[in-house]
Amino acid sequence: MFSLASIATMGACIFLLGVFYSIGSNFNQMVREAEEGVAITVFFNENATDDQIKAVGKAISKRDEVAHYDFISADEAWEDYKEIYFEGNEKAAANFKEDNPLAEDANYEIYLADVAEQEDLVKYIEGLDGVREVHQSEVAARTLTDFNSLLTYISIGVIIILVAVAIFLISNTVMVGIAVRREEIAIMKFIGATDRFVRAPFVVEGVVIGLVGSVLPLALLYFLYNAILTYVYDKFTALNSMVSFIPADQIFRFLIPSSILLGVGIGYIGSRVTLKRHLKV
Amino acid sequence: MIELRHVTKKYEEGIHAVNDISLHIEPGEFVFIVGDSGSGKSTIIKLLLKELEPTSGRVFVNGKDIGLISHKQIPKFRRNVGVVFQNFRLLKDRNVYENVAFALRVVEAPRSRIRKRVPIMLSLVGLAAKYRSLPKQLSGGEQQRVAIARALINEPKILLADEPTGNLDSQNAWEIMRLLEEINQKGTTVVVVTHNMDIVHAMNKRVITIQKGVVVEDRKGRGGLNQYVSI
Repeated sequence: MFSLASIATMGACIFLLGVFYSIGSNFNQMVREAEEGVAITVFFNENATDDQIKAVGKAISKRDEVAHYDFISADEAWEDYKEIYFEGNEKAAANFKEDNPLAEDANYEIYLADVAEQEDLVKYIEGLDGVREVHQSEVAARTLTDFNSLLTYISIGVIIILVAVAIFLISNTVMVGIAVRREEIAIMKFIGATDRFVRAPFVVEGVVIGLVGSVLPLALLYFLYNAILTYVYDKFTALNSMVSFIPADQIFRFLIPSSILLGVGIGYIGSRVTLKRHLKV
Repeated sequence: MIELRHVTKKYEEGIHAVNDISLHIEPGEFVFIVGDSGSGKSTIIKLLLKELEPTSGRVFVNGKDIGLISHKQIPKFRRNVGVVFQNFRLLKDRNVYENVAFALRVVEAPRSRIRKRVPIMLSLVGLAAKYRSLPKQLSGGEQQRVAIARALINEPKILLADEPTGNLDSQNAWEIMRLLEEINQKGTTVVVVTHNMDIVHAMNKRVITIQKGVVVEDRKGRGGLNQYVSI
């Protein structure tokens, strides 16, 4: 009976862990997508040569924090500008036909792998030959970095609490089991049972509690995750273009082995540790 | 076989359970250890089982200084020392056969050996017909027989009995003592801790008397049950 209660509570812990991991992973993905949207723009001196521009590009490509970068020529910059600011007023734009107002605005658009590195990269690029100016969005970078750190700290905190609760529960189960079977353990020890022999049923019990207590909530979570994703995509179609959720398979590729390992590990260690002092007979 | 050399056991509260005891028991002997409650006689059994460590002195069992046995080696050591308790300490949810077989399972004996040995042992203690009974369906004497069968199934050289007749009526007590003597006659060293002086006097065995943790008398017996027993 107590084992059932223990499986239920262990299951609740793993379920919460799964919920938290799923939410956390999706948030992380959203933050990463937002990070990808944050770009640094590098402009060149008026008299910068093609070779200098290429050298800057090469230097940028060698940096680890760079996810990818594009070269935007002056003509491309003007075309983009026209599309945005002269929409429906193409005639006005045609006045500039032979005279590109953005002739000096060829640039590199750099997308970062990790926005936290933005400041260092900007300093580095500013020191390169032929670079006139580097545009960046410091506020966006700092906000995203802070948010990411906060998310990491909360995740670690919640996981530690849940693991501690699960260990406590397993130990409790084993302790009740020992109290009930204390006489049997003592008899076993008096007639020459090894520690391994006495320990085996308790460890098996702990491992089974861990296994069942992790498999059941995982199955429930898998079903719920898919159902919620389907619901959100159906009901909030506007969201589809703004954010993308991680598919269940990708989430559970990590969640299944880690939860089972955690459940079984807690069961195994919890039962061994609890039993240790009772074996010193 | 069994030797205590200047053994002292002092509990944390400062009480001397055993105080500088030395004694020697030869292989094949039948020995009573007697004394009042709290005299330290049960402490001796615990020391011999390595359930307790002496505060000072050395304990030898089967020729080995058991102070030198590591925790890992204790199971192997205990398989050579059978033990019987006053309250039988049987597994209440298992029948007679299972209780005796349990001692063989604990030492991871093969099934074939269990199937062969258990009926033989149950016949020896006179319980072959009751192998399917649960402990609660047996009399006190029968329960103690099961405990003795369990203690002997691994063929130990020594049998320690801590107040084996303490919970039994007179007739059952005598039956158990007869059984212990039979076991002794087959070569097992038997050490019985008791305060039942009627039995002790009647059996004419070696008697070690302990008072306040000290051996006050060690009297050799003539051996064999006297007339009183056969009445």
